[in-house]
This record gives sequence, C-alpha cells and structure tokens, in this order.
Amino acid sequence: MSASLEKGVRVLKEVIDAPIASYFSSCVHCGLCAEACLFYTETGDPKYTPIHKLEPMRRLYEQEYTVLGRLKKLIGLSKAVTDAELDEWRELVYNSCTLCGRCSVVCPVGNDIVYMVRKFREGMSASGNAPEGIKGAANRTITIGSPMGVKLPAVKAQMRHVEADYGLPIPMDVEGAEYLVMLSSMEIMNFPEYLGAIAKIMNQAGKSWTLCSTAFEATNAGMQIGNSDLARVIVSRIVEAAEKLKVKTVISPECGHAYTALRLEGANLMGRSFGFKVRHIIEVLGEFQEQGLLKTEGFETDRLTFHDPCQLARRGGVIKQQRGLMNMVAKNFVEMPDAGFMNWCCGGGGGASAIEEGEELRMEAFKKKKSQFDAVKPDRVVTACANCRIVMEEGLEHYKMNLPVVGLTEMIADHIPNPVVAKPEGS
Amino acid sequence: MATTNDKEFRVKLETLSVSQQRQVAALFVQRVLGLSNDVRIKAALDMAMRADISDAELAVVSQAANTARVESYAQCGRDSDWNTQAGLFVAKAAVSCVRPDVEGQNLAWDAAMQVRVARTCEAASGDVTDHKEAEAQYAILDDFLSK
Repeated sequence: MSASLEKGVRVLKEVIDAPIASYFSSCVHCGLCAEACLFYTETGDPKYTPIHKLEPMRRLYEQEYTVLGRLKKLIGLSKAVTDAELDEWRELVYNSCTLCGRCSVVCPVGNDIVYMVRKFREGMSASGNAPEGIKGAANRTITIGSPMGVKLPAVKAQMRHVEADYGLPIPMDVEGAEYLVMLSSMEIMNFPEYLGAIAKIMNQAGKSWTLCSTAFEATNAGMQIGNSDLARVIVSRIVEAAEKLKVKTVISPECGHAYTALRLEGANLMGRSFGFKVRHIIEVLGEFQEQGLLKTEGFETDRLTFHDPCQLARRGGVIKQQRGLMNMVAKNFVEMPDAGFMNWCCGGGGGASAIEEGEELRMEAFKKKKSQFDAVKPDRVVTACANCRIVMEEGLEHYKMNLPVVGLTEMIADHIPNPVVAKPEGS
Repeated sequence: MATTNDKEFRVKLETLSVSQQRQVAALFVQRVLGLSNDVRIKAALDMAMRADISDAELAVVSQAANTARVESYAQCGRDSDWNTQAGLFVAKAAVSCVRPDVEGQNLAWDAAMQVRVARTCEAASGDVTDHKEAEAQYAILDDFLSK
C-alpha cells in the first residue's frame, strides 16, 4: 500500500461517522437516486448511480465497522481498496457529481448522499486522487487566496473601472458598514458588472457596505476538493474580516458553494457561532424588496425563465425570493418543469467545471437542462450563480441554442433609475 | 462641441442610427483588437464597419462572435491570466457591435464599456499603461460626427 493510499484510507476511516454508517446500513438499493442524477439520466450508464459512486467507501465501512464485513475481509471475500480503484473512481466522485443534492432529497430512507460524497472526497483528496484542475484551484487558494489566482490589485483595478462606469464609490475596508460584500473570482474576472449592480442597489436602498482587502474572495475550493481544513481556512478569512470591520451581515455572492460553505456550514467548520448574519445576495435583495427599498422602473417584456442554482434553492431553501424579484421586473416570466427545489443542475457545480477532462460528459449531462429549456422555449434565461451562467452558456453554444443567459442581480440593477447619490446609513 | 464626459458621450451615442452605432462601436473596439487574437472578432468588426450589412450577414458574424465570447470565459477554478481575460471583453465588445435586433438599445455605449474593461484587464495583468480610453473614445465619436 502506497503512503498516499494509506493516508487516504486512514482519512476515509476517520470520516465514516454515525450518519454515514446509518446511511450505508439503511440503503434499500431502490435506485431512485439514479433517476435523480443527470449524469445517469442523460447517459443511461449505471456507474453514475449516486450510491454506486461511493462503493469503495461502502466496502471500507463494511470491512472496518461491521462483523460480517470483517469476516469477509478475513477470508478474502472482500477486497481491499487500491490505488487503481480510487484512480478509477475519480471520474465518479468528481467529474460526474456536482454535489447538487438531488439524490439526497429523493432518497426514501433519507440518506444524504451528497454528504457521503463530500466525505469520500476527503479521502480521495488525501490520497492524491483529486482531479488536477481542482487541485490547482485548491493550491492557488492556499498560496494566493483565490482559486483563480485573483489578487487585490486586480480587484482594485475592477473597482476603479466600476466606479467610473457607474459613478458610484466602491467602498473598501470601511469599519462599521452594515454589509460586507463578498465576491467570487468568476465575478471579478468575467462579470465585473455584478459589482456595479451591487453599488447601484445599495445606493438606492441607502445601505452602507464595504469590500475587504484581506477577504474579497468567497469561493471555497476546500468544499469542492474535499478538504475541510482548507474549507475552514477560507471561511476563517471571511469571519476575521467581518469581525474586524464589525459588519452586521456578510453577503455571499452569486456562487453556490461559497454560499453553502459560509452560510450553511461555516459555523460548524469554525466550531463556533458568528456575531454577524450570512445571507446570499438574493436573500438580501428579497429583504430589500419586502422592506420597499427596491424601486424598479419598467419591465422586461420577452419570455424569461429562471434557473435555480442547486446550492441556493435545494440546499439553502431560497426559492421564493428570486421569483418575487423576477416578477418585479419581468412581464413574461415562465417556470421550467421541475423549477425551484427540484431544479436540475447546470452540470458544472461542485468543482466539475474546473475539470477539463470532464467536459465531454458535462455536455452530455447538459441535455437535461436543454430539455427544460425546450419545454418552455424562453427568449432568455436568468440565474443567480456566475458558474451556472458560464456552464449554461457553454452548453447552449454546444447545442447551437441562441439563448442569452443573464444574472438576476444585474437585471434588477438595470431597472433601478440611474443614481441619485444618497447618503448611506451611519455615514 | 467636444465631448468631455460620459453623460454627453452616452447622449450623443443615443442619437446615432443603429448602423452608425455599429460603425463607431467598431472603431472603439479596433483600439483594443491587439488584446484578442481571434479572427472571428476581426471579422465581426469588419462587418460592423459596413453601412450596407444585411440581416443575414449580421446573423452569421454575430453567431461567430458570440461563440468566440463564450470560448473566452475564464472557467471556475481554472488558473487565468488577465491578458487572456482582456480578450473576453474584446469579444463582448465585438458582440455588441454586431448584435441583431437592437432598436432602442445603445450598443455603442455597451461596446465602449466593454472596451474599457478590456483595458482594465490589461492593467491588472501588470502592463499598467494609462490609455485614457474614455478620452480616446470621446475623440473617436467627435471625429465620427464631424464627417
């Protein structure tokens, strides 16, 4: 057994906790999780059945923690996990799983398969079997602070552009601001207009906000690769920044796993509660709408549909806010089949879009999203995740569908009258 | 009167016909064409410069430019450099130049803004040169209007 395999197996044994033991022992092999996974439904290949993706971990659980399994191992009826096997399983655990959570919610016995996949990724990562693309992102997160290598001067350059473009200040390191706005590298690099939209919305709402020079990046590569230590480090940078600046709320950007890491798992990763709230930007916009702080003008008249990012809608339960916002600015908003809680993933979440060798499979899986679009024939698609946006654009391009994809925050900002610079609260 | 700020710039652009907007937008993008090495972008600009472009021609170059734009995205978790990233915004600007069905939209303004982001990316890459892009765009527009 190689040293890396030994380490991976040790980590796997450690992460098999009570929930995982109960999930393995209660699986009734019904196959419902297969029908919930777009990698299975679009390829028909049984190896993409979600519970099957965990087979090496299941065997290890059985061999280590059940009497029958120990016996089988002893008499050679159950083979040991090998390097070659984990190498083969890389495609199943990373390329063909976006951690979308659909399998977890259809399981009739309540097995949280995503939780298990994430634990399995811990062992895969420790044994050196994570895909190169995700390893690179994790390494850059450690050394530079951003999975895409975005540094502060680049953020400042974008800030200057947005300030000139929108005529509004982009505050940084403002102590006592109400909101700390986090960004994802994807927004900084591909969609700097997101930052302008935030400035415009906050200005109209009369809210004080700030970026932080020591923690502007929310993307959590630790969650994606399966390394809770790294996930903790990334979350702790944000927590330290929020506490230093004494903000009341940290706003997670339009990035699914950033939201899950910070909002849903952050406190557990840190082992303590936070002295501030964590909200997704869509939750904040929903609150502003409820409080009458969003005043939009005009309507989009073309046929629009909304793609729910998995982490936001299914894992986070944020479903009605985006619909309220859509109806605020759209006259012809149509829902796709399965929209909301059971929406189908774009196919690129959970680090999958960082894996170059997974591209062909991703395009195959995108047929599910395409079928949702085909069912309602929208003129444009709106979403609230920069990664979903790009993955869908690539899929649409691949299938020669002329269907623009836009961000909800930017769309709302487009309907806000041009700035009459208001004084933020407390300034 | 010479254009001196974005407010005037935007208003003047809005007064142009769609064809004129395409032409002036293409002139803006040509200044940053060196940041992209995609032949589809150059082809889109060449078409946008033509006053007699047909709807069919527009559809073809628009599709090609859009493909170039989608292929230029920095993908989640991938290592990217800002020089390459500038190419994305050049592509976005070119898409604006040849966008079909744009009645009532200020495509030249959109292109001008994307060109400025391309310059921002160039600056972020470390090649910090103050191109005074806004002023250059004002001059291009004034020159275009004076002809």
